[in-house]
Amino acid sequence: MLQITPVNVDEALVAAAQGGSAEAFSRLVERHQQPLRAFLRRTCGDWAQADDLAQETFLAAWSRIGRLKAGASVRAWLCGIGYHKHLTALRSATRERARGQAYETDRDETLDAAPEDKIALERAMATLPADQRACVALCLAGEFSHAEAAEALDMPLGTVKSHVTRGRARLLQALGVSDDPC
Amino acid sequence: MTPADNHPADVRLKALFAQDEPPQRDAAFSAEVMEKVMRQRLREEVAMLSGVSVIGAGALWLVWPTLQQGLVAVSQGLAPAAGALALAGCATLIAGLWRPAPAPGLS
Repeated sequence: MLQITPVNVDEALVAAAQGGSAEAFSRLVERHQQPLRAFLRRTCGDWAQADDLAQETFLAAWSRIGRLKAGASVRAWLCGIGYHKHLTALRSATRERARGQAYETDRDETLDAAPEDKIALERAMATLPADQRACVALCLAGEFSHAEAAEALDMPLGTVKSHVTRGRARLLQALGVSDDPC
Repeated sequence: MTPADNHPADVRLKALFAQDEPPQRDAAFSAEVMEKVMRQRLREEVAMLSGVSVIGAGALWLVWPTLQQGLVAVSQGLAPAAGALALAGCATLIAGLWRPAPAPGLS
């Protein structure tokens, strides 16, 4: 049985997985499935496709775990792989059509039960460009710092900051929320 | 955390985003991923073993004329030991002493 203390858990699990331990990798999947799936759900809009992409991401991560540097952020690395898989899916014309149909179906089902603000937010998210949406999904919806998002998405820090600022403004406008802190 | 996280507008955004958060623990999802990982691992191992087998068979085919002569010469002495080893192997398998490890996440 794998004995790992809570300190630097990810680092220990990555080291074990790099040594071929599927059990350690299984623990990494358990620990990081939530942030990765949440990010992909917000980036794709289609929950089923997001979960498929999350599974593909973990499969790719298993193959590439040896390349992950010691001390690197595992969740940023996973979200980076997931983001590139999402972009690849977007570029595929066939998948793009299927995604659009699935998104509409999925969203319609969600809209019936969701409050108005949630509907407005989802609609506004869908109108953001893919890179801006990814930055918003990581920094506003997730717990990522700008620097961590820049690392995950392989973007300059300044670009991430401007994407987050612009995306946030558009979301607040769609929600009819004032940016005034008072 | 971003610098604007304490802003009321950002708190509201976070609350709305939190509605589509997946569960913190999802055993079904994790098990599905690990099943695919183990299948991929099996495919890689089978591919590697197939490659090694082909190379081994080719090497054996090349050295067989030489090897054959040597084997014929020592076969009389080796036959009892080879038989005993085969019997021991069969007994181990039948007694269930060798079992594959359970798949991670499924134990």
